[in-house]
Amino acid sequence: MADDVRLKPMAWVLIIIVVLGLVALGLYQGRDYIFPTGQKGGEVSKEDLGGKVEAPDTTGVTTVKEYKFVPKEVLPPVKGAANYRALRDNTVVMGLNVWAGWAPIFYANGGTDPNPNSLFAKKYGFKVAIKIIDSPSASINAFAAGDVHVTAWTLDMIPLFYEQLKADSRALPRAFLQVDWSNGGDGLVVREAIKSVADLRGKKVALAQHSPSHYLLLNLLINSGLQPSDVDFKFTEDAFQAAAAFSADRSLAGCVSWAPDIYKLSEVRGNKLLVSTATANKLISDVMFARADFVRDNPKIVDGLVRGFFDAADELKNEANKKKAAALMGKAYGLPADEAVNMLGDAHTTNYAENRDFFMNQNNPTNFERYWETASTLYMKLGSIASTVRFDQVADFSFIKALENVEPYASSRDEYTVTFTPKGVSSIKAEATEILTNTQQIHFYPNSSELFYKNADGGLYDPNATKILEEVGRLVGQFGMARVVIEGYTDSSMKGFVPFDAVRDLSMSRANAVKEELVKRFKLQPNQFSVAGEGWNKELEPGNHALNRRVEIKVYPLEQQ
Amino acid sequence: MKTALRKGLSRPVAIGLQVGSVAAILLLWFAVTAGSPEERFLSPLTLPSPGEVLAQIKSLWFDAALTRSIGWSMTRILLGFGLAAVVGIPLGILAGCLRSVEAWLRPITIFLRNIPIAALIPLTLVWFGLGESQKVFFIFIACVGFVVFDTTAAVLEVDERYVQTAWTLGAKPQHVVWKVLIPLALPAIFNSLRLLFGLAFGYIVLAELIDAKFGLGYIIQIAQRRGPREHIYLVLFVITIIAFAIDRFLFWLQKKLFPYMFAEE
Repeated sequence: MADDVRLKPMAWVLIIIVVLGLVALGLYQGRDYIFPTGQKGGEVSKEDLGGKVEAPDTTGVTTVKEYKFVPKEVLPPVKGAANYRALRDNTVVMGLNVWAGWAPIFYANGGTDPNPNSLFAKKYGFKVAIKIIDSPSASINAFAAGDVHVTAWTLDMIPLFYEQLKADSRALPRAFLQVDWSNGGDGLVVREAIKSVADLRGKKVALAQHSPSHYLLLNLLINSGLQPSDVDFKFTEDAFQAAAAFSADRSLAGCVSWAPDIYKLSEVRGNKLLVSTATANKLISDVMFARADFVRDNPKIVDGLVRGFFDAADELKNEANKKKAAALMGKAYGLPADEAVNMLGDAHTTNYAENRDFFMNQNNPTNFERYWETASTLYMKLGSIASTVRFDQVADFSFIKALENVEPYASSRDEYTVTFTPKGVSSIKAEATEILTNTQQIHFYPNSSELFYKNADGGLYDPNATKILEEVGRLVGQFGMARVVIEGYTDSSMKGFVPFDAVRDLSMSRANAVKEELVKRFKLQPNQFSVAGEGWNKELEPGNHALNRRVEIKVYPLEQQ
Repeated sequence: MKTALRKGLSRPVAIGLQVGSVAAILLLWFAVTAGSPEERFLSPLTLPSPGEVLAQIKSLWFDAALTRSIGWSMTRILLGFGLAAVVGIPLGILAGCLRSVEAWLRPITIFLRNIPIAALIPLTLVWFGLGESQKVFFIFIACVGFVVFDTTAAVLEVDERYVQTAWTLGAKPQHVVWKVLIPLALPAIFNSLRLLFGLAFGYIVLAELIDAKFGLGYIIQIAQRRGPREHIYLVLFVITIIAFAIDRFLFWLQKKLFPYMFAEE
């Protein structure tokens, strides 16, 4: 019976069309679920990097202010029995990559092998085995497995590691020593046409993802008012590949890489080194950290590592000892001796005073806390990590603090700060083009140059002033070897009513107010700054008074001394 | 036990054993990862528990864009491998027919079949830049030597008596090539392509080490660098499932195309 009911071919075609249409519609409607586009990097706003300021602090600070808390009480507790590989023959296993900054460690240990005659063994009673592990992920895998007890990487990478290690409280990183600041070891090489960082908008740049290169570029972009999405990142496996890609592929406008590649590349015609950590000398720092269970169970060894490091760093001031350290590193890295000597200059070893300033001084614009918060915030905004923790979950400055009255450490002095000589804006500009320009809209009360001008009700006229100062303070702190020009601008609302000289003076005193506040708040050198009043010159957008009332912070390379 | 040697199994028994093996591994996995993170036999950093791995499926699907990544990886593999087949098969047939060509190609195929593939990454980067072509050519270079070699072997293995029969029937050289050698070598060529495709699939992790915005290999690389590590395990399962499905599809196709090869089973 049913056999008689036959559909005509046309009907079949119609049914198929309808079914296909429904399927296509379903796929289209559900595209975000069936083909999600993945995590996209979000925007990074200026407020993100303004720090987590609780309340506007209008008093400013003139002295060093140290943290009062005790790390042990704040750090996440370690649960269970230790899970690292038991020390054989009292030997600590330390994973290190190929980098100049480890010179004091190599020197103290007399090479990579456990050594009964090493400084660590003779003075502090334990041995160290150095394993060269160049890949960050391999290194952190070994750390997670407990095969490596102690390692050192740049602080900006530790939030990424933390994300991986947080599943086991025993493997959490405890940062106890600042090893060095990158001092020319990292840099951005560009084609000649790129005059400043802002010119990278829409261009391709090769670099290794989630590395100090990435952190360097992100900071430069954000400080220049660009979003990460404004630049086409071409991610390579490591910095060497980024350099290789840059020389092979002319379509790349820049690459972030390491010494010596950045210097070799910049010697090629048509290329130049736009900025390196020789100028941004407090932007990238290496920090030594150990497994939490290891620190808990071996405080004497950690103390010995810290002291031994400072002892060796002191001995490395001697040229002959430097050569010795370079030879040991050259052997471990497979480099010729002279190349190893040259690479020593890429990093500045941080002494006790500098460590203390880094870990404990709340007012240091480039301290651990600010560095950690900046890196965590950037990587979270980019979607690289799902959550962030506070710096005090990682920084364990108890070993540094314990030495505050111990000689010779206690009497050491900061040796990484240059003394600036005063210089006029016009001569700075005549000698070089700026590396980047950071534009800030600070709202001054009309005709006032008071940064913390209070309204009649007692509230601040510009409640964002503290945040802006915080952000600029970090920027200036990072560029410890650069000249900073602060240009004040007014709006043009009074054009035609008052003489230009009057607004120029007003904008000059506004720029000065910013400078004075930065100097006071962060203990920066006044001579690093040069100020200029530009009045209503160079409007960003004619008629947009709120936008035009601003200060521009321009960073210039320091002249050769 | 003599009787069990090489003896076939009934289907239910075979399936039972397969299920049992998976169950045993799962059980072991549960056992060594049970308890709070610090009290387990294995730290979650060494091996996450099955529950922890499953909990990351959502983030693998959405945050890591699994489906898009599969699409990108498949495109790269198909292009690279397809190119290797398009170049390799004609060359292989030519080499199988003419010993002079075979001799000429031999050093090249020996080289291509023996180089450590990972060493090609920096070289392809310098030759092809950072874009898609680098990934496609990486897979091409990794596979083409094997395709040429296997194709040559397949042609050479055609029994000489078929060729002789064709000659006695008055065939011209082009007839021998088109009507005897190629048709008789095709099943073996197809079979080797099926196996080599699995090889190409394995290279995707290496191919996507540089500047991949999506891809299965890229997911593994990112998970290694900053977690979640559970993605690595999940992607390994996904790759296995896809590779197995493709292999079964090609096997089915093989049966359809060359039914006479499977007639006896």
